[in-house]
Amino acid sequence: MRILAIETSADETAAAVTEGRKVLSNVIYSQILTHAKWGGIYPSLAKRAHEEKIEPVINETFNKFQISNFKFQINDVDYIAVTQGPGLAIALEVGIKKAKELAKKYRKKIISVNHLEGHIYSSFVQNSKGNPKINFQFPYLAFIISGGHTEIVLFKDHCVYEILGETLDDAAGEALDKAAKLLGLGYPGGPVIEQLANQVNNQDFYHFPRPMLKSHDLNFSFSGLKTSFYYYVKDLAEKEKIKKIKELSSSYQEAVFETLEKKLESAIKKTGINRVIVGGGVSANQYLRKKFRLLLKKYNGYVLFPSYKYLTGDNAAMIGVAAYYKAQKGMFIKDIDQLDRVPRLKLGHPSGDLASI
Amino acid sequence: MKHEAYNINKIIEAIKKAGLVICPSDTVYGLLCDATNEEAVKKLIAFKNRPPGKPISVFVADFKMMKDYVDVNEKQMSLLKQLLPGPLTVVLKSKHRVSKLLESEKGTLGVRIPQHQLINKLIHEFGRPVTATSANLSGRSPHYQVETLLKQLPASKKKLIDLIIDKGKLPRNKPSTVIDLIDSNLKIIRHGDVVFKNTKTFISNSVIQTKQLGKYIINKSLNQINNKPLVMIIEGDLGVGKTVFIKGAGESLGINNIVSPTFVIYYEYQTKNPQVKNFYHFDLYQIQEKEEFKYLGIEKLLKPGNVLCFEWGEKAGEIINILRSKATVIYIKMKYISEKEREIICEF
Repeated sequence: MRILAIETSADETAAAVTEGRKVLSNVIYSQILTHAKWGGIYPSLAKRAHEEKIEPVINETFNKFQISNFKFQINDVDYIAVTQGPGLAIALEVGIKKAKELAKKYRKKIISVNHLEGHIYSSFVQNSKGNPKINFQFPYLAFIISGGHTEIVLFKDHCVYEILGETLDDAAGEALDKAAKLLGLGYPGGPVIEQLANQVNNQDFYHFPRPMLKSHDLNFSFSGLKTSFYYYVKDLAEKEKIKKIKELSSSYQEAVFETLEKKLESAIKKTGINRVIVGGGVSANQYLRKKFRLLLKKYNGYVLFPSYKYLTGDNAAMIGVAAYYKAQKGMFIKDIDQLDRVPRLKLGHPSGDLASI
Repeated sequence: MKHEAYNINKIIEAIKKAGLVICPSDTVYGLLCDATNEEAVKKLIAFKNRPPGKPISVFVADFKMMKDYVDVNEKQMSLLKQLLPGPLTVVLKSKHRVSKLLESEKGTLGVRIPQHQLINKLIHEFGRPVTATSANLSGRSPHYQVETLLKQLPASKKKLIDLIIDKGKLPRNKPSTVIDLIDSNLKIIRHGDVVFKNTKTFISNSVIQTKQLGKYIINKSLNQINNKPLVMIIEGDLGVGKTVFIKGAGESLGINNIVSPTFVIYYEYQTKNPQVKNFYHFDLYQIQEKEEFKYLGIEKLLKPGNVLCFEWGEKAGEIINILRSKATVIYIKMKYISEKEREIICEF
């Protein structure tokens, strides 16, 4: 089953052709370099760039998708998959509009995918040769950690999810980005903080608060930590801030990561599930991976991460793979005209449901 | 004991005769008596079963009257002018001109300037402070309805009451917030709904209070929603609680899954309030240039029935004229007082 997948929920304009779990072709146009100039998602660019790039990105996806000399076209795919949400409304619209247009033109069915579903499946995405070969061993705990999301999900079976805990305010990646901004580091700040923290061996010097650890649930909140960091940094002289930048970065990152680790551990204890999959931009952090591996070793389990770096960020390949499992369950959009973006789409809601309530 | 309609002269008459009057206030039903009359205060204490030594606060008409009964220095006065009138009781050093039974053992007195037409007028005309305590027995919860209050009272207590002003069901506002200004640092002793000045300046010292304030402000501002969209513009530093405030506002409309929209600029929610269609939560943190607003399609969202909240409202300057011309606009400024406390100023 071949699927053309389109993803435009935030920054990246992405398209991919997948076959089962294999990625045959994948193109991501990232606006991040353009955005880095200003710091953050730039909504005008998000929409304009998606509008400008969606067509070339899809074309390139097909240009790359060649076997011998045979060049594939949209007619050679079975279905079209598109991200319905969550994300920026005006960005999601561009992808959905394109998917509808192509579906009508080529008479294909549409599979709408929750962006987070994509992240959950990203650890199982294979390259064109079918690597890595990991078999599904349901149930899993799926942990999505990115700039826009922080969520622990019980992944019971294909396309069956139950949210166990989520952030009540900021996402973990956002908390790192905002701290980076306070320290005068660029955007996105996470990777810079990772590097700086590494240089001081990820030690914790300042012991910032670990939010929500006593909450007895699996929800997250990073606003208190942000406030505490703001207060600490505000009182520091500029010189001092620069002098201590590694120590501050490392301590802050540790506060965020330890919170993630402790909540994951609670989820393992609560559910008795010791198989974990992690997705989202923050899962690219090597130190976090090490922390999680050690944790799962303690519980005689394992943790899976996306095998290729591009799969930690936003991409269409993961959307295509998630769509494959939805297609097998017959989860197609019945009336294409009714398909609309759902900016706060919740995992586990049937598509088209008023999930934003 | 008589049920009376609104009649200031009758109240004054009763109070002058050392009587006890049950009267609505800007918070709960209160029990009013002449604060300077020992006999009246004794009756009040007997009614409430108030243990001796537990202070009872008083209503004063204005700052001038306040100064006659408590010591207020300039610094304290400038703060109070921002906070009062409103549901806020301030503890200050008493000048011992009211019954001693109302003061604390340390010689302090709780005073407050209510925001309630009837009581304000009453104290002005009476010319002296009256007690500002809730019309319930000590240790019981306050009343919002005369009916329930009377049901709870034994006959022996009912006898002590001289007049009841029944204004029906009061909105469920909490009793006033109590702050201690004896030391130069403001200390909050009891939390009411919020602390405010001309219904404008609020002090919150917890996430829960900031949320409550969000609820309060939006509910107060929805009366025009059928004709005009409502826009809330929120300014304040990182971590001050802007998202928390909006979460509160959203919760009062039945939206319980609001999170920071920073990553995607804005999120759209559907409400459970039949009057309100969509709720948009913007975060302008990432916005750098006015050009960007064009692409957000904000004008399209400015329709009656919609609520739009903007975090980092200081960046909304470019679109402020459009917002003003098409919507009811509320400005909210949030400031850090300390790591836990926030000052929140609302301009309607």
